[in-house]
Amino acid sequence: MPPRLNLFTAHKAAAALRQPASFASRNGASPLRFRSEQSASIQTRWNSSKGGKKVIPPEEQKFPTQDPLPHVSEEAAEVDRIMSKEKSCDGQPTAPELEQGTPVSEILSRDKEGMKHMPKVMQDQLKKGTRSFSTSARSRLPEIQNSQAEGDASAAMLASMIQGVEEQAAERIPGLKFAEPEAPRGTLNFRKRYDTMQDQFTKMLMQDGKLARAQKNMSIILDTLRTSSPPNIQSRRPLLGAPPAPQLPLDPVLYLTLIVDSVAPVFRIRQQKGIAGGGTAVQVPHPLTLRQRRRTAIKWIIDGSEKRRDAQLAQRVANELIAIAEGRSGVWDRRDGQHKIGISGRANLGLAPRRR
Amino acid sequence: MASAWCWSCLSRLRPTTRAVLPPPSAIPRLTSAPFHSSAVQYAPPLKKKSNSMTQLKYRQGQTLRRKKKKTVERARPPAPGERKALRKRIILSNPNALEVEGMQEISAENIVDARLRGSVLGLPVPMLDQLRAVQAFKPKQGWSIFRRPGAVVRRDTVEMGRLFEKISGEGDAAEKGKVVKKVVTGTKGSGKTVHLLQAMSMGFLKKWVVVTIPEARELVSGDTAYVPVEGSKPTQYIQPGATSALLMRTVEANREVLSGLKVSQKHDIAGVKPTSTLEDLAKLGFQDPALAWPVFKALWTELTASAAAPGMEKDFQTRPPMLVAVDGLAHWMHNSAYRDTDYKLIHAHDLVFVKHFLSLLRNGQAEMKNGGMLLYATSTSNSPGVYALEVALDQMTARQAGIKPTSPEYPSAEAYSNADPRVLDLFKPIEGKEPQMELQTLGGLTRDETRGYLEYFARSGLLREPVNENWVGEKWSMSGGGIIGELEKLGRHVRSAAIPTPAAN
Repeated sequence: MPPRLNLFTAHKAAAALRQPASFASRNGASPLRFRSEQSASIQTRWNSSKGGKKVIPPEEQKFPTQDPLPHVSEEAAEVDRIMSKEKSCDGQPTAPELEQGTPVSEILSRDKEGMKHMPKVMQDQLKKGTRSFSTSARSRLPEIQNSQAEGDASAAMLASMIQGVEEQAAERIPGLKFAEPEAPRGTLNFRKRYDTMQDQFTKMLMQDGKLARAQKNMSIILDTLRTSSPPNIQSRRPLLGAPPAPQLPLDPVLYLTLIVDSVAPVFRIRQQKGIAGGGTAVQVPHPLTLRQRRRTAIKWIIDGSEKRRDAQLAQRVANELIAIAEGRSGVWDRRDGQHKIGISGRANLGLAPRRR
Repeated sequence: MASAWCWSCLSRLRPTTRAVLPPPSAIPRLTSAPFHSSAVQYAPPLKKKSNSMTQLKYRQGQTLRRKKKKTVERARPPAPGERKALRKRIILSNPNALEVEGMQEISAENIVDARLRGSVLGLPVPMLDQLRAVQAFKPKQGWSIFRRPGAVVRRDTVEMGRLFEKISGEGDAAEKGKVVKKVVTGTKGSGKTVHLLQAMSMGFLKKWVVVTIPEARELVSGDTAYVPVEGSKPTQYIQPGATSALLMRTVEANREVLSGLKVSQKHDIAGVKPTSTLEDLAKLGFQDPALAWPVFKALWTELTASAAAPGMEKDFQTRPPMLVAVDGLAHWMHNSAYRDTDYKLIHAHDLVFVKHFLSLLRNGQAEMKNGGMLLYATSTSNSPGVYALEVALDQMTARQAGIKPTSPEYPSAEAYSNADPRVLDLFKPIEGKEPQMELQTLGGLTRDETRGYLEYFARSGLLREPVNENWVGEKWSMSGGGIIGELEKLGRHVRSAAIPTPAAN
């Protein structure tokens, strides 16, 4: 790898660092100059005579307001700065040369005697011929490689061998040089290591912000689902897209997800006022996203579990879940009622004002 | 005629609003003439709102009366004891889990088979009652998710199996009558209690007498009755209830062995006949807790007897070796919750029951003539921090590493640390006397054992991952180098699948 710091370009950077003092003022005047170039044709006036005057090209034209002297106070401040603030340690006002330093090459260009004794690198630079040596790794690298490849027969053989192996590898895995990297299974993010549904349910089980306890409860729920006998699924209230019932306990998270998704309502009922007039609220169905649907279902499940008599919270919720799977729970009725209202209320959908 | 308005001005004119005047309904109707204020002035003054605090009527109470909150009708709380029963429930089988094909049972022959390392051996069904009787299973262990209980065979298990064979007088290097004393330690979840369970199962297989104290804490927590022993100095205490429970456990688990052995010594206990079996003897302690301790002492002398008393040799049979397993040793190393007559805390070593089992552990103490094994496990989930015990275990580690007690590297209690001298004395080295106490530290499983263990999860249908070298290596690292409790969590833990969340529809 070539060195990241190229020493041969360093002098360019150094030149940029030591800007002459006039540079800033030139720079500051540039917008004005630009305008003067642009407005060259406008500057010719009808009432001015053409002959008898020297025509100044627009670049050299000078206007009275182009380089105004600074304001009196600014000038005074500047003088004060030079005289008092920027002093060397012995109290003398300093020149910018002393403050900022002068490049050695500049000093040497004035000093003929010194030029004789200056370092060889600088002398070579002055000659502007080809250098006798180079420290640049980058520029000579291909050259070296070529010469070696040409000169060394064994290296060429090695190169051909490497090439052969690479070709073989390319044949084995078309399109890829090395073995295909394995896509990570699941997720590497520790915040998302649980199933989305399980995570949502756990967070809703949480009381007083005690997540660890909720996770413990969730594991008890999953273990109960795992160990309880497979559900007797009613044909009237089947779980959506479920595998055969005996397989359900072996995959408790799938079991839980199916239960929640099966009782999740598709919409919520919004009480919309001011459509029908007379202050009557009209029930308008409003679609829910997947997460919202699940949230509603989980809320219903937890509400339903509160009426149970089991000692443990996790046990109550687990039993409610099994009751849902077997079609015995009141959560199903709740969902049916919601859907009934929604179906009758869908006539009101057109009445609802459009939101902008 | 030219308009006075110019065109632009005209265009600026807006058409007048529909009604310049507001509609009549919009004008507020004034009830009185707008220019008169007299009606307002002469209006009757507003009635002051009555303030109950300022205007008190006579015979009116001044106390604050609040409406009682209505109690929400809730489900009846669970019956007393129901919660505890739920907490202590031990389920050993999950009918939903798949039957693992080709799973072997632990037997007297295969406990020494090193080829079985890494495989899970099932516990035979008839033995489950015995193991339940000695309370080998603990509620927090994950027995309930598998089809049948089983335990993984690890290096320590095979070594223990060899010891069992040796002490039983079988195999090549038989040493019948040898006593092995071990203190089992290890980090949390390293399988100390299950190691004891495996020892018990081996004991039952080899027809030993198994005596266990499943919770050392129960003897010192002040929950059972205690009686001072008269004339003892310093005063010692008997725990009749706990002794009775121990006798029950022992008889229940070892009925087959005890019923085959006859009484061979003379005892001062009413009801003991020369023809009665050891089971009959132990049963005397069930009914009368006052008799429990003498009965236990009698039973112990019977079991450790190497020869019959003169005149009783007729039915004497050699006694089997014994396994004594204690879990939670640290609880016996500090003051108990019991108080003496001066209301001072009684040290655990002053309880006769505890003292009996701890004295067996002492270096050089060879009371068990028929051989056997003592396994005293520490616990990390419920353990009081006892500094003296830590020092004693460190000293034992150092001795096993070959550091002499006289050398400067030998660990000792720090100055002014107030380490319990009785504890240090219990573990002190006694040279030249067998049997010596050993320290057995349980670590993690090896990678191969880990693989076998996790494959057992997969074959039970609980784990839906391809169990390969990479995956096992990952889990082995994540479990702190094969700590089996952590591996169990990883095995049963339900992870997020690779499937992303389905889009909302």
